[in-house]
Amino acid sequence: MSDAEETPVEDEGAVENGEGLYVESPIIMTTVRVITPFVFTLGLFVMFHGADSSGGGFQGGVIVGTVVLMLGIAFGIETTRDWVGPRLAVALVGLGVLAFLVIGLGSVALGGDFLEYEVYGIYHATKYGIELVELAIGLVVSGIVTGLFFVIAAGVADDGSDLA
Amino acid sequence: MTGALEVGLVVFVLACAVATAMLRDVLGSIIAFGAYSLGIAVIWVFLRAPDVGLTEAAVGAGIMTILLLLTIAKTVRPVDEEVLESVDLRALAVSVALVAVLSTTLVALPAVGDADSAVADDNVTDYYLDNAYEETEVKNAVTAVLAAYRGFDTLGEAAVVYSAGIGLLVVLDREVLG
Repeated sequence: MSDAEETPVEDEGAVENGEGLYVESPIIMTTVRVITPFVFTLGLFVMFHGADSSGGGFQGGVIVGTVVLMLGIAFGIETTRDWVGPRLAVALVGLGVLAFLVIGLGSVALGGDFLEYEVYGIYHATKYGIELVELAIGLVVSGIVTGLFFVIAAGVADDGSDLA
Repeated sequence: MTGALEVGLVVFVLACAVATAMLRDVLGSIIAFGAYSLGIAVIWVFLRAPDVGLTEAAVGAGIMTILLLLTIAKTVRPVDEEVLESVDLRALAVSVALVAVLSTTLVALPAVGDADSAVADDNVTDYYLDNAYEETEVKNAVTAVLAAYRGFDTLGEAAVVYSAGIGLLVVLDREVLG
């Protein structure tokens, strides 16, 4: 564990209580290694392709968030959390809402109605505008999913060390 | 037109729901809940709502199961001989009565895919279906409604998800890390 020097008590608890259990399983490691890129691609596909088939930002965002969950289960939740960093999830959520607001209010600022994509004057503005909005929603949802996962997992580790 | 597959699905979902409520073992209850969500997701696809089905499969059967498992991972499993929860007869009677009352509205619902249903010949629906492709250039009318015609509602939903999520993260973080 990389952060053993910094927070020895918490880390010991995490390793003893189940984290090491999954990291050594070759089945889970191999499965996650193989299917993670596919799941990530599926998530992006669902997010971008929601305009033309079933799916959309919400569903795609959840699937992309699942990738981080799978990494967490395979490589250890604490390790993955250290790797991802504490700010990324919250930053994604804020960025998503901000992007939606900017796209929506930007058209108002340019003299159109809310989310009237045509005023941007780019090629196929409405189609690409909708896909951008879907992407923003996906950012919000995937950020929330990963953030909740890490926070709830941290609660588990702490409770475990308290009990032990 | 209810085939054996649909009836089987409904029976499966109902059985999983009852198992979720009745099992004393929390782990078993969560597994039953995951199976229930998966069954509901397939039912949504049968009802021609693949968008909703995709959401149910990803959130209900996927994320929720993992979050619930994480939550109970460090709880102590009670050593108990009983497998099923004891049934509170009065609560059961109230639930059955409520379901019976609500079921009386079932006969008023149109058949699945009925061309004469109130939704299908509604002016707004017709407008969306007729104009969505020319006006928004996206083939999925649901997306057109969500991100173009009713974009302001969707912004509100995004704001709700944002505030609920951030609020939860703040509360849980404080709870966990002090």
